[in-house]
Amino acid sequence: MNETWRLIDMRIEDAYTQMAIDEAIAYARKRGETSNTIRLYRWKPSAVSVGYFQSIENEVDVDECRLQGVDLIRRITGGGAVFHDYDGEITYSLVAPDSDPKIPTDIIESYRIICGCIICGLKELGVNSEFKPVNDIIVDGKKISGNAQTRRYGVVLQHGTVLVDCDARKIFSLLKVSGVKISDKAIKSAEERLTNVRKYLSRAVSFEEARTALIKGFEEGLDIRLKPGKLTPYEESLVKEYRKRYKSSEWIFQR
Amino acid sequence: MRVEYKVPGGKLVAADSSVEAGFIKNVKISGDFFMYPETNIIDLEEAITGIRIEDLESTILNFFDFHPTQLIGVGPSDFIHVVKLSLTSSPSLQGF
Repeated sequence: MNETWRLIDMRIEDAYTQMAIDEAIAYARKRGETSNTIRLYRWKPSAVSVGYFQSIENEVDVDECRLQGVDLIRRITGGGAVFHDYDGEITYSLVAPDSDPKIPTDIIESYRIICGCIICGLKELGVNSEFKPVNDIIVDGKKISGNAQTRRYGVVLQHGTVLVDCDARKIFSLLKVSGVKISDKAIKSAEERLTNVRKYLSRAVSFEEARTALIKGFEEGLDIRLKPGKLTPYEESLVKEYRKRYKSSEWIFQR
Repeated sequence: MRVEYKVPGGKLVAADSSVEAGFIKNVKISGDFFMYPETNIIDLEEAITGIRIEDLESTILNFFDFHPTQLIGVGPSDFIHVVKLSLTSSPSLQGF
């Protein structure tokens, strides 16, 4: 009998609440006050998130984001800048103790296992993707999913993005792509580095269809059963507290 | 001044710093790498701030000896390299 994890399904919130929820679940899990959790979610309004260590001014066109009504947030996870497009992206997160036998101790291997769930879900949609260490999932050499993990409180929190559709022009109007960063990759244009489910399959894929496939991907990839649930009152209280930090300019512009 | 360095096969790491009378000031490290625990970056910046330029390498190596840190996409030598680059690009050191 495979074990049951909680599913928090397709909650739509702004950037500050979404990041606060992920951290709240991680902290509550450490305290033993909640169960292992998979979340699928969308960001409204659309937002740019930067990695914990990134210099926001150097990665993001802050004025352009404001002009386009795109929120800005700093994650607690490392990694790169992501445009979370309400109309083109599903984000997932996973929270489990780092001692869980399903999660390898080795960080790269744990990315491989968790990204394996996304790869499984994409396959369900007809997209053949592969894991590209450290933290990417690619299709024909192009990125379709970026992932970031932290380990704190004795808990693994990994979240990542699945591109269902994307407006590459919009992404690169918001993000500053460093010339140094792509210098060792034989790529002509930054726009050629990304793909998405609809583009790859050349058909309309609804969020509902993508969501169903991702749920199946997690169930198969981790050999678990997902049971829809809600945040506990304790988690909701943490969300309120953490949200203030995520929204503060001291946090967002710290680096 | 701020300098970016793409670690071959790894992540981007950048450093911004200044020099005052041979001492390192205002160090800020950034990039899309991973470091666990994440907050060690703040301690690393503090460890480098106020030291003499010639002590940079030993200070960074010592830091990682005494602060258990897991690094992905970047290593101690990359931090040394990029901070050095940023110091040598600092206006006060030009002409040396």
